[in-house]
Amino acid sequence: MIEARNLGKRFGTVTAVADVSFRAESGAITGLLGPNGAGKTTTVRMIGSLVSIGGGSASVDGIDVAADPMRALQHCGLLTDSRGLYTRLTARENIRYYAQLRGIDATRSERTLARFSDWLDMGAILDRRTDGFSQGERVKVAITRALIHEPENVILDEPTNGLDVMSTRALRELIRRLRAEGRAVLFSSHIMQEVAALCDRIVIIAHGRVVATGSPEEILAESGKTSLEDAFVALAGIESGNPSEPA
Amino acid sequence: MNRLQIATVARKELVDHLRDKRTATMIFLLSVLMGPVILIGFATFLSSVEKKAEAREVFIAGAQHAPQLRNFLARQDITVKDPAAGYRDLIKTGKHEAVLEVPKEFEADFAAGKVTLRLVYDDTRQDTGNVAIGVLRRLVRDFNAEVGTQRLIARGVSPQVLRAVELQDVNLGTPQQRAAQLLFMIPFITLIVCVTGCTAVAIDVTAGERERGSLEPLLLNPVNRLSLVAGKWIAVAAYAIGVVALTMAGYALALQFMPLFRLQSVVSISPMQFLGFGITMLSFAPAMGALQMLIATYGRTFKEAQTYVSYLVTAVSMVPMISIFGQLKDATWQLFVPMLGQLMVITRVLRGDRIDAEHFAIPLLVNALICAAAVVAIARLLRREQIIFGRA
Repeated sequence: MIEARNLGKRFGTVTAVADVSFRAESGAITGLLGPNGAGKTTTVRMIGSLVSIGGGSASVDGIDVAADPMRALQHCGLLTDSRGLYTRLTARENIRYYAQLRGIDATRSERTLARFSDWLDMGAILDRRTDGFSQGERVKVAITRALIHEPENVILDEPTNGLDVMSTRALRELIRRLRAEGRAVLFSSHIMQEVAALCDRIVIIAHGRVVATGSPEEILAESGKTSLEDAFVALAGIESGNPSEPA
Repeated sequence: MNRLQIATVARKELVDHLRDKRTATMIFLLSVLMGPVILIGFATFLSSVEKKAEAREVFIAGAQHAPQLRNFLARQDITVKDPAAGYRDLIKTGKHEAVLEVPKEFEADFAAGKVTLRLVYDDTRQDTGNVAIGVLRRLVRDFNAEVGTQRLIARGVSPQVLRAVELQDVNLGTPQQRAAQLLFMIPFITLIVCVTGCTAVAIDVTAGERERGSLEPLLLNPVNRLSLVAGKWIAVAAYAIGVVALTMAGYALALQFMPLFRLQSVVSISPMQFLGFGITMLSFAPAMGALQMLIATYGRTFKEAQTYVSYLVTAVSMVPMISIFGQLKDATWQLFVPMLGQLMVITRVLRGDRIDAEHFAIPLLVNALICAAAVVAIARLLRREQIIFGRA
């Protein structure tokens, strides 16, 4: 379970995250939905200890991120928008590097890798150097290496960015499998349809604040709109708002 | 710090960069090959100078007018050659050695002691032709002395009246010391290799990670920043040491061929000297690697980091200039200055001067401090948001 309590972050005079609270429960997909610049990425980075927490607190499986960042990281796997691979290493070596850094023995990491390879159809690329990989192939490797330790909590920041239809479908399928295995999945996106298609619960963020939380049905009811898209537009204040830029 | 993680990072970086063929080629050409090539070229140059100094040939224009001089030169076993036509222009362009001009009136004026010989040369030409000037001067001086002595004896005067004092050269410089001056190039090039040998790797493990976008996911692993940087540094240090070792192996090989150039007396480096040379160089390389990693961490791209690092390379190359132009005498404080200290120790080793414990201990300590400080500083930098996310 991932929990954010009144998270805040300022970069100089710019407030990237003002007040974000939510819970991503185990065995559920929680969508972090918001327009570009709403503060999704900064929120995810604070949970991953890449950015210091400016206010409030975050915890992963009850471990306070600020107090014990290393242990919190052991309990979660994150995919951010940086997905750089080592091009002189093969896909398998890229993934194995992260497994070794996390102290996972070879048998276990090979088993996990085989599972992901099966799900994401990576068999043909595993032993190729990643130089020249397509965007989709790179994301598949990046997501596998981020989750090679089979974490109970999975955070994916805009994972489908730049992916073709086939890769997007494979990724969605993977996310559903992770849920079925009882993991907490936090899925951040600015694409409403994607969140609507996948998520059990949606957290809508705008201007660094949570403006709505609930199941898709609850959000519809709260906004008084008939379609989720209209609800998103109304709640996120896209038409009238002036989204603040994250640093 | 976690030893297993450090080892994992170091191993990954080593494998990653061993596969980098382009960098490997660059390292080989710039570092490993350049030193021995320059060494052999330098030795060839030196031996050609030596040969010229011993040359038994001089160019004299109008030698036929001076039978006495010809006779003297013949007794000295010197061959007199006629200069080429238009030799003055040739000398000006560096295509002809110095020429001694004998006037037509030599015989007529000789007895009266009114002869003027002209030594024609161009001292702005820095090539080996300058050796001939010294040879001709010496020959004319000796000729003067001989003729003068004979004339005094003929008049019943002891030649000693012309010599108030005797001057005898007592040169305490051993041939080895003179060679060290000439071979200043070797430590200098090797010290530069200590810096440049690992530059590509030092940049790739820092700025390269930023440019590729692989730094952020790497930091999402529960790995202590210090362990991460330590692992990277070990890989960089291993490369730096490897390249310097290869360069020195190149020197060793080149020195094997030295006898070909009749320089064995000048360039004779004992195994102990080579060892001292090696210790000093091999401890310097990892420190320079660490320093370059630190500088490169500020670079968002490989190119940007390369620019920053080039400042360091320039600065380090300047240090020997300070030591040359500042006419520095060996002093303990120099041992504390990176590069200056190494240069001093190496020169002492090559010159055969006494080496004390401090000569190795102080630079070693300074290098260790540089490594530790750089690793800690990089680990701190990797906590900064501008470094993690600042991508070009």
